[in-house]
Amino acid sequence: MKGELTVVQDQREKTASYKAQKTVGLIFSYILLVILSIVWLYPILWIILNAFRTELNDQGDLIGVVVSNYFPKRVGFDNFKTLFTTTAFPRWFLNTLLVASASCVLSTLFTLSVAYVMSKLEFSWRKTYLRFAMILGLFPGFMSIMAIYYILKAFGLTHSLFALILVNASGAGLGFYVAKGFFDVVPNSLVESARIDGATNAQIFFKIILPLSKPIIIYTALLAFTGPWMDFIFARVILGVENKESLTVAVGLYDMIYGNHADTNVFTTFCAGCTIVSIPIVTLFLSMQKYYIEGVTAGSVK
Amino acid sequence: MKKLFTTIIAVFSLVLALTLTSCGKKQLTIWVGSECVDFYQEKCDAYVENYNATHEEAFPTSIKVLGVDAGAAAQQYLNDVEAGPDIFTIPHDNMGKLTAGSSNIYPIRSQSLIDQINNDNPDAFIDVIQASVQGTSYYFGVPYIAQSLVLFYNADVLTAEDVKTWEGISAKAKSVSTNDKLVKAADLLGDDGFNNSFLLLAKYFDADNNLTTSVKIYENGVEDANMVHGDDTMAALKWGARYFKVENGATIAGGIGKAGSSGWETDLKDGYALSLIGGAWNYKAAKAALGTKLGIAVLPQFTITEADAYGTISAGTVFQSGSFADCKCFVLKKGSAYQQYLEDIVQYLSSVSMQEEAFTAVANLPAYKNAAEEFAAMKADTLDAKLSSCQIKMFEYGIAQPFGFAQKYNTRYYSKNTPGLIYAWLTGVNSEYALTDAGLMELLQYCESVWSTGETK
Amino acid sequence: MERAAKKPFFHRVGAWFARLGKSIAKPFKRFGLRFKNGSIYTKISYLLMGFGNISRGQIGKGLVFFLIQVAFILLMVLCPTINNTPLGYKAYINIVTLGTNEGDAFTHGDNSTLMLLFGVMMIILTFVFIAVYVANTRSSEKTDQIVKKGETIYEYRSDMHLLVEQYSEKLSHLSLNKEEVLAGLVSRTDQLIEENRRLPDFRDKYVENLKNALEKLEKEDASVDVAKKEILKVVDQEAKELIALPAFKDDLHSLLDGQFHMTMMVPAILMIVIFTLLPTTFMICVAFTNYDAAHQGTLFDWTGFATFVQIFNGSGTEISKMFFPVLGWTMIWAFIATFTNYFLGIFLALLINKKGIKAKVLWRTVFIMTIALPQFITLLAVRNILSNRGPINQLLINLGIISSGVEFLGMATSGLTARITVLIINLWIGVPYTMLQTSGILMNIPKDLYEAATIDGANKWQMFRSITFPYIIFVTTPYLISSFVGNITSFNIIYLLTGGGPNNPGYYAGKTDLLVTWLYKLTMDQMEYNTAAVISIMTFIITATITLIFYSKSKAFNEEDSFQ
Repeated sequence: MKGELTVVQDQREKTASYKAQKTVGLIFSYILLVILSIVWLYPILWIILNAFRTELNDQGDLIGVVVSNYFPKRVGFDNFKTLFTTTAFPRWFLNTLLVASASCVLSTLFTLSVAYVMSKLEFSWRKTYLRFAMILGLFPGFMSIMAIYYILKAFGLTHSLFALILVNASGAGLGFYVAKGFFDVVPNSLVESARIDGATNAQIFFKIILPLSKPIIIYTALLAFTGPWMDFIFARVILGVENKESLTVAVGLYDMIYGNHADTNVFTTFCAGCTIVSIPIVTLFLSMQKYYIEGVTAGSVK
Repeated sequence: MKKLFTTIIAVFSLVLALTLTSCGKKQLTIWVGSECVDFYQEKCDAYVENYNATHEEAFPTSIKVLGVDAGAAAQQYLNDVEAGPDIFTIPHDNMGKLTAGSSNIYPIRSQSLIDQINNDNPDAFIDVIQASVQGTSYYFGVPYIAQSLVLFYNADVLTAEDVKTWEGISAKAKSVSTNDKLVKAADLLGDDGFNNSFLLLAKYFDADNNLTTSVKIYENGVEDANMVHGDDTMAALKWGARYFKVENGATIAGGIGKAGSSGWETDLKDGYALSLIGGAWNYKAAKAALGTKLGIAVLPQFTITEADAYGTISAGTVFQSGSFADCKCFVLKKGSAYQQYLEDIVQYLSSVSMQEEAFTAVANLPAYKNAAEEFAAMKADTLDAKLSSCQIKMFEYGIAQPFGFAQKYNTRYYSKNTPGLIYAWLTGVNSEYALTDAGLMELLQYCESVWSTGETK
Repeated sequence: MERAAKKPFFHRVGAWFARLGKSIAKPFKRFGLRFKNGSIYTKISYLLMGFGNISRGQIGKGLVFFLIQVAFILLMVLCPTINNTPLGYKAYINIVTLGTNEGDAFTHGDNSTLMLLFGVMMIILTFVFIAVYVANTRSSEKTDQIVKKGETIYEYRSDMHLLVEQYSEKLSHLSLNKEEVLAGLVSRTDQLIEENRRLPDFRDKYVENLKNALEKLEKEDASVDVAKKEILKVVDQEAKELIALPAFKDDLHSLLDGQFHMTMMVPAILMIVIFTLLPTTFMICVAFTNYDAAHQGTLFDWTGFATFVQIFNGSGTEISKMFFPVLGWTMIWAFIATFTNYFLGIFLALLINKKGIKAKVLWRTVFIMTIALPQFITLLAVRNILSNRGPINQLLINLGIISSGVEFLGMATSGLTARITVLIINLWIGVPYTMLQTSGILMNIPKDLYEAATIDGANKWQMFRSITFPYIIFVTTPYLISSFVGNITSFNIIYLLTGGGPNNPGYYAGKTDLLVTWLYKLTMDQMEYNTAAVISIMTFIITATITLIFYSKSKAFNEEDSFQ
C-alpha cells in the first residue's frame, strides 16, 4: 500500500508542468534570499567601507564624518593609522582579550557546575535555589550598578580589570538553563552505573560527564567570551573615567563617538576599530556556529 | 583536561600580575582636560623639581596628571569621592553639584590664592565660584580656563559682512538653497539651553545705544530672581520662532536649528548649513569639515521686524546674540592626603604666566581678565587667535552660568528641561504651548516658576 | 498531582501559605528540641560554637565553627570601618537612621549610600551566620548520636570479652567445636541487639567476620591464645569502626562526593550573593527612600511608599506623568517585536530549508552575522546609515521618493516614525535568532505526519497550514513567552538607535523609551535613584507575572501527550 503511493507521487513529480512550477518557485526563493542578504549585509559592509574611507578636505585633512555616498571616493589605511597612533586601541584590545578569556573560564566553570548540580544531584535546597535564581534573574540590572560599584570599592577593587572579570563571572550561576537542559538529556543510567562502580560524584562529573559535554562547554564558553567585547555599560562604570589605558574596546569605541564632547569626525576611525574588533569575534563565532546553533535550538524548546 | 587547567592557571596568574601592578601607592593626582595632559604634566614635574630645590624636605610624592572628560569626571567624583583626584578640573556650573549639602570639595583657604583670584579674574567668574555651606560662603574653585560660544562659518559662502547679522546669513542661505537642498543659516549643537542661549540671553541696543536686557536668571544667586518674560525676550523669541520653524520634518531654508543625526560637521562640509554656534571644543572638527573655508566670528546681531515687535520693543530694535560664558576651575578634593600642598600647586598652575603659556601651547582660553590686552599671542593674525578674541568679545555679551551658587539651580534649569520646552515652542514641534504671544508668555512664566521653585506642573 | 493543579487558584494559594507556615515553624521546633534532648556538650555548643565537635576530638571541624563565631563577634563588636562607614552592630543602627552627621565644609559627613549598603550587607551576613550556627548545633547533635551508639557498643564489647573467656576451654579444641562457639557468640549478640534495638545492621557483618576468623584459625590450627586474640580483634575492630567519628579529612573528602553539590554551588552562590543579591536588595531598599538628584552627596532618608504613590497621583513628577505612557509603549513594543520576529523568522527558516536550495550553511551564515557582531557596532552603524545625511536618505533622494533628508530615529519629528523604524530594525537583529531556533524544530517534524497528510491528498500549503505551523506553534510557545519577556527588557536596540528619542519636552522619558532605557537614564544620567528603583520593581512585577503564568501554562502543556 505504502509502496504504491510513493509510485504515484513519483509520477506526479516527473510531469513537466510540476517541474517548471518547482523551478519557478526555486528561482523566486533565490531572488528573495539574495535581496534579504543584501539588506542584512548592507550596514555591515558599510562599516568596513568606512574603515578604509579616506576622503580629504581641501586642506588635506581626513574628513572622517558620516557621508552620504555609500562607496568611498578614496581608500587607504589612514583610519587605522589614526586609531593606533591617537588612541589607546591596542591596549583596549589586549585588556578586552584578557577580561574575555578570564571571564570565559570562570563563567563556564560556574555555569556548568550549577547546571550539572541542578540537573543530576538531589539535595534538600535544590528547588529553593531554582526558584531563587528565577526571581533574582528577573530584576533589571542597571539600578544595581551603583551598589556593585560600592561593593567592589569595599574590596578595594574598583577601576580594575580584575573587578570587571569578577562582575562578568558573577552572574554565571543564574544563567544555567540551557546547560541544565543539556545535562537533563544525559541518561541517568550513566551516572548510576558509575556510582555502582564506586566513583565519587566529583569523579563522575569530571571524568564521565564533562568529556561528553563538549557542545555545551563550547556554547557556554563562546557566550561568556564574546560578552565582554560587547558590554559598554557596566564596564564603563567599573573601569572609571580617568585611565584611558584601562578601557575595553566596547567602552573605548563607544565613547569615541558618543561620549561627552566627543569629536564626531572620528566616525571612520571608529569604523576601523570596529572592523578590527569584529575579525576575532566573527571568526570565532562562525567557526563555532554549529555549537551555538545547537545551544540556541536546545534553549528554544526547553 | 590537563591543557584546560594549564590555561586556567596561566590566565589567572596573568590577571593577578596585572592587578598587582596596577595597585601602586597613591600619588598626588590631577585631572585636566584630555587635550592638555602633557602640558600640565610637564609643568607639575617642574614644580616638584623646583620645590625640592627650594625646600629642605623633598616633595612627598610625584604628581600624576590624567586627562578626563570633565562632566563624566564630576559625576564619578560625586559617586566616589575617595577615588577622585586630589585636584581636578570642572566647568564652574558643575560646582553646584559638588558643593551640595556640606560639600564634597574643599574650600580655598590660602589668602594668597584668594588674592590671586580677586586680582586676576573677571567679577562674573568670582561670583560663580562661591558657594555657601551651612551659612558661610567660601571660594571653591580657581578659574583658569574661560569658554563661550562663537560662530564657526563657511567663509566660502559667507562674507565678513554677512556674518554680522543673522539676516545676512539667512539671506545667503536662502539664495544658495534649491528645491532639493535646503540650506540652513546655522546649526545648533543641541537644545539643552546652553546652546540656544543665544536668543534667550540676547541683549538689545536701547535708545542711548547701550546694551540692555531685562533677563535675570538667579541674579546674584537669589533663588527667585528670575525674569525671562520681559518685552525684549518676548520679541527676541518671536523673531527666533520664524527662523527655527520646522516644516515637513525639515528646518526651513535659511533657518536655524539643531544639527541632524548625521552631525553638524556633515551639514557644514556638504553645505547644508552655513554656520555653527559652538564652543572651542568644536574647533578641531570644524577645521576638518571646512578646511581652509573655516571662518570664526562673534555671534551675529538681529533686527526686530513689525511681526516680532512686542510691547516697548518696536520694529527696528537691534539685538546682539547672547551666550553663557563659562570658566573652568581647579577644585580640591576633600580629605586629600596632600591637603597642605594643593593650594600652592593650584596657585602655580593658575597663575597669569601659566595661563599665557597654556594658551600658546594648547590653546586654553585664559580666564585672566586682561588676557586680550596683555598676551602677545592673542593678537596674532591666526585662526587660533581669532577663536580666542571672538570668545573674549562674547564675554561682553554673555553672562556666566549662575548655577555654581547651588546645585538646585542647575537641576532646575537643565534637568527640568525648560530649555527643551523653549526649543519645542520655537520649532513648533511637540510643543504644548501655542505659537502665539499668549502661548509664549505662558511658557516663559512657567519656566520662571520652575527655576524659582523647582515645581513642575 | 494533576488533580491538584486544577484546584481553584485561591485554594492553591491558601494551601501554599499553610505549607509556608509549617515550613517556617519546623526548623524552630527542631532547633528547640535539639537543645532539650542534646547532651551537655551540645547545650554548650549553643553558646560556644564548635564545642560539641572539639570535645569529641573533631578538632578541625570544631575549630572552623569556633573561628567563624569569633570572627562574627569581633566584626559585630569592633565595627571596622570601610570608607569611614562602620560595619558591625553600628551598621544596624545606621540602616535605620541612614546617617545623622551632615559634616561641614572641611570634613565629610555620613555617607547614607554606604550606610544603607552596609546595613543590607550586615543583614545578609547575619543570616549566613545563623545558618552556620544552626549547622553547628546539628553537627554537635550528630556527634551525640554517634557517641551514644558507641556507648552501647562498648558495653557489648566488654560482654563479648567475658564470653570469649568463658569459651576459651572450648576454643582449645577449635576444630571440633566451631559451630558451637559460633552459635554461642551469635546468640549472645542477638540477645544484646534485642535489649538495645540499636545494632541490627551490625549483626550480619559481625557474624560474617567471626565466621571468617574461625575458618582461618581452623586452617592454621592455632593455639588457644592465638584464637582468643583473633576473635577479640574482630570484636574490637567492629566496635571501633562503628563508633568512629568522621575525621576532618573525611569531611573534606565528602565535599567531592556526598556533599559535592556544596563544592559546586558555593563559589557560584557566593558570587551571586555579593554581586546580585546584595545589590538587588539595596536597590529595592532605595525605592523606599528619597535618594534622588537633590540628595546626591548629602544625607537621604526613608520615605516609605512616597515614590510608589507618585505613579498614580498625577502630581506632575516624571514618574507620574510618564509611567503609563512608557509602560504602554513597552507592552506594544514587546508584543509587536515578538510576533514580527517570530513570523519572519519562521518564514526565513522555511526559505533556507526549502528543498532544492543550495548552500544552506552559507545563507544561514549571512543572516547570523548580526548575532556574531557586537550590537554596539551593528546598531550604531544602522543609526548612522539612517541619519539625515546618510546613505539611505541619499538613496531615497536619488530614487525620487523624498526630496530632502528625513530623520528616522531619535530626532524624528513624530514619535510614530521612530517607533516604526526601531520595530523594523529590530527584525534585522531578531529574525536570525528565530530563524536558528525554528530551523532546528523544522528538521525535527515527525516524518509520519507528512506521510499521513500525503495519503489524505493534501497540497503543500495545506500541509504547511495544518501540520508544520501548528507543530511549530506548539513547540515554540515557551520560547514565544520568554522572548516576550526578553523584549520587555530589551535595552541595546533602543539605547543605541534612538537613545529614547524623540524627546518629550519637559521629561527624561522620550517617545521610544522602554521601561529599562528610561530606568537607565534616570540612574546613570539623572541620578534619580529612588524613581529608577521603583521602575525596576514595577518592571520586575510585570515580567515575573508573565513568567509565572508561563510556568503554570507550560506545566499544563507538559501534561498533554500530544498537541493535536
